[in-house]
Amino acid sequence: MSTLTVGSRSVALDKDGYLQDLGDWSRDVAHALAAQEDLELSPEHWEVLELLRQFYQEFQLSPATRPLIKYTALKLGPEKGNSLHLNRLFKGTPAKLAAKLAGLPKPTNCI
Amino acid sequence: MKRHRSPIGSSALGAIEMAKSLLIISRQAPWSGPGAREALDIALAGGAFDLPLGVLFLDDGVFQLQAAQQPGQLQQKNLAANLQALPMFGVDELFVSSVSLAERGMDAGNLSLAAQPLDEAELSALVDRYDQVITL
Amino acid sequence: MTTLHVLSHSPFGDNRLASCLRLLGNADAVLLTGDAVYALQPGSEPRRQLSERRLATRLFALEEDLQARAIDPAGLALAIDYPAFVELSIRFDKVNSWL
Repeated sequence: MSTLTVGSRSVALDKDGYLQDLGDWSRDVAHALAAQEDLELSPEHWEVLELLRQFYQEFQLSPATRPLIKYTALKLGPEKGNSLHLNRLFKGTPAKLAAKLAGLPKPTNCI
Repeated sequence: MKRHRSPIGSSALGAIEMAKSLLIISRQAPWSGPGAREALDIALAGGAFDLPLGVLFLDDGVFQLQAAQQPGQLQQKNLAANLQALPMFGVDELFVSSVSLAERGMDAGNLSLAAQPLDEAELSALVDRYDQVITL
Repeated sequence: MTTLHVLSHSPFGDNRLASCLRLLGNADAVLLTGDAVYALQPGSEPRRQLSERRLATRLFALEEDLQARAIDPAGLALAIDYPAFVELSIRFDKVNSWL
């Protein structure tokens, strides 16, 4: 457990650095979480984060890598929905890292 | 479809290619006990790891497929929503017993998830087809 | 592929046995353990259903569970011990435990 300071707010994180309360998420929180991972969020990152939040809305769980790729391919096309693109954006662990930045719980079923 | 493989050794990859097929028979109602959740978790985990598997909804398990369930006030993970993710996890072989549906006055055309209805003879043929079977 | 179906719940007030019989293949077998051996209770409805299926040499029951419950399998099921249980598990392509 730790906290993340975003502007004047302090946000609770779990032991793996994921938001304790999904309702705490905002774009500023995502930027702060990304900064902790030495990541600068580009529009390409954002479209995946938005997609993950949509996935969570729909299925109430965080996707493992394979469903993340499949869902991204379905919504954004195969040139975005492939492991190469997603690995490049999210330091080789897209399911875990992108879920964290999107404010979702840590995905189960991930290596 | 292009599939992502995690950077694991070639022997482990071989094990995945050779993976035995698994049929999960889910026969518990959705909200009263752990059985339905456990069956779904096995299916999602297996799908995430690319295992060839199918799910058969039998007996009270068909209630998991009831349309328009609203479990929001139960303080449980939303099994009905999670079930919808099965095809995203690569689990497309979904079956339901037409006798179990008929007993409960349910219609195969009005389920929350597209599952293929099977009659009694097709059920035993289905079990026969998989290398392994687990019933929860 | 052959399946050994293993049951351990009493058939009274539970439909595992009935469902198992529904999807039982022609070369599949049933092993009754624990309270599932009550399905062999003489004069009972589950025993009648089992006899109707004429499983002959494809119906087994665990001896110690029969003895503990004073159930006589005579004429319907073959009583087996644990080593025979293991042998059966190997003889069939897969084992399906009705948990």
